[in-house]
Amino acid sequence: MTGSLPPAIIFILGAIVLPLLPRRSRSAGYLVFPLLAFIILVNLNAGTNLTVPFLNYEMVLLRVDRLSLAFGYVFIIMAFLGGIYGFHLKDTGQQVAALLYAGSSLGVIFAGDLLTLFIFWEIMAVSSVCLIWSRRTPKSTRAGMRYIIVHLFGGSVLLAGILWHQAETGSMLFNLFEGGTASYLILFGFSLNAAVPPLHAWLSDAYPEGTVTGSIYLSAFTTKVAVYALARGFAGFEPLIWVGTIMAIYGVVFAVLENDIRRLLAYHIISQVGYMVAAVGIGTEMAINGATAHAFAHILYKGLLFMGAGAVLHATGRSKLTEMGGLARAMPLVLGLYMVGAFSISGFPLFSGFVSKSMVVYAAELNRMDVIVLLLNLAAVGTFLHTGLKLPYFTWFGPQRSLKPAPIPRGMYAGMALTAGLCFAIGVYPAMLYNILPFPVTYQPYTATHVIETMQLLIFTGFGFWLLVGKLGGESTVTLDTDWFYRRPSRLAYNLFVLSLSRLFDVVERITMRIVRSLAMVSANPAGSLIQTTRSVRCALAGEEQPESKPFNPNRYRFPFGVMVLMVLLFLVVFTVWSLINLRQ
Amino acid sequence: MKRILLIALIILVPFVLLDLFFGGHGEFPWSGIPGFFALFGLIGCVAIILISKWLGHHWLQHKEDYYERNDGDR
Repeated sequence: MTGSLPPAIIFILGAIVLPLLPRRSRSAGYLVFPLLAFIILVNLNAGTNLTVPFLNYEMVLLRVDRLSLAFGYVFIIMAFLGGIYGFHLKDTGQQVAALLYAGSSLGVIFAGDLLTLFIFWEIMAVSSVCLIWSRRTPKSTRAGMRYIIVHLFGGSVLLAGILWHQAETGSMLFNLFEGGTASYLILFGFSLNAAVPPLHAWLSDAYPEGTVTGSIYLSAFTTKVAVYALARGFAGFEPLIWVGTIMAIYGVVFAVLENDIRRLLAYHIISQVGYMVAAVGIGTEMAINGATAHAFAHILYKGLLFMGAGAVLHATGRSKLTEMGGLARAMPLVLGLYMVGAFSISGFPLFSGFVSKSMVVYAAELNRMDVIVLLLNLAAVGTFLHTGLKLPYFTWFGPQRSLKPAPIPRGMYAGMALTAGLCFAIGVYPAMLYNILPFPVTYQPYTATHVIETMQLLIFTGFGFWLLVGKLGGESTVTLDTDWFYRRPSRLAYNLFVLSLSRLFDVVERITMRIVRSLAMVSANPAGSLIQTTRSVRCALAGEEQPESKPFNPNRYRFPFGVMVLMVLLFLVVFTVWSLINLRQ
Repeated sequence: MKRILLIALIILVPFVLLDLFFGGHGEFPWSGIPGFFALFGLIGCVAIILISKWLGHHWLQHKEDYYERNDGDR
């Protein structure tokens, strides 16, 4: 039975069951679902399929192969670790959202057809925004609103592409796309979720505004689901090589300017996902292995980094470099665990990034893409510079600000320690990771040349940091990014579509009222109104002062009653005479 | 400043020696240069900082209330 049960179902059931549990056991209850899903996943065999009829259509809820399995493992592991880190949470809404988010991510990973993929894709967007809104600050509410609008837009483009693809090929199966307009629309939808510049600004805008625990899930799922989708649908699509490399550099450049520690880390998600996108673009077996391995390692170390930054935020209520410093003595353990993540993302030997990132670079080396290799190495320099040196230096060392951090829940430490353990384990024993990759691995990361080159690169990056540390302190500024294009013109749009329209209505209303008033005046006493109008026109022509404008009184210029009687009488006389003449004929 | 460069230079020496023994398989244009990645790391790091900061100060960085100022009436 468990042989073909989609793991996503477990999480979605969990999201329904969890609120029904007693309040005190919900944090523990949460952990049951990732464990159950993991057991199911371990029992899934590559090649399993599960199709469910829906209307006159076959939905492939489950399509298992080694690529989807590798992503499935790390998603479930991260959902579990996030649950431990957030064990202290008393917020059922967040826990339910996290379960739905993890579940829908798994749903996409195992979706065999594009309709199933699209449905889970949209659940992901909706459940993830709840993790941002759960912070319940005006800033997070607005950032979440921008996030969901961007994602719903991306989802719509994706749906358009899917329907177009269906009309063109008659197939909804999710496999490598052949090219053509439909697949470019789908590529747009995928790229938006992968945070490919210029479609990336939602990430650095919204992730730092999420809750302390929510941002850990955020950093793990959406972009990596997109990497999976790209690897499945667009492996070997060459423009992605350059796109990914530019991403890797782009994130690094913006990270220099960031003051908020979680925003700095968010820019490094973009940078790291750039490696994966480039690998997908290269598309060889080595490269797809590299993309998968890097996604796996990245989810863990980035989760760990966000856990560290979240612990600081939880303890001090601050997340800006300009407001922090000297926390090392108060939070040594958090610093230590954070540094494991930092060494991993920087690709230090013995840590997970070393064995995964180098696969991507090696795939580029094999294809003799010299410039790409150099640029990816440059991105590695920037990564160590920020996550490994700048952020920890200005947070835990740097200027003393005599902060009194609050104690951190034990669950947070446990979550961080477990994640750090995994990062280290993968770095020391890479076969653990290599064995679950889609293709057989012959690559050996620990060669003398590679270790020496990496150490040179990183140690001398350290010297560069040392030289320029004075320039690197946080600056309390906001950095413009492509979100400018929908944030700044929002004022313009507001003026154009709201203010100017309401002004137009105002003018029209006033004109209409004036017309109605003068019509009423004329019909109340045509002759009188004529007299008054002529008078005021004559005054105006003569250049005299207008007689004070009294409110129009229709009785003012009324003919005397006798005139009316006279007119009736006259009419009667005329009528009589006319009738008499007629009678005679 | 001078002290940092001096220490860097001292540390560079063993790496160059290591490169002479293990590196240089001649695959890439830079494979034969001992200590290439050390220089690449140092120069790359400095370049990233200077270029990004220049971009930031001349174009990208604005006061923190940049967006809020425009959201005033919402």
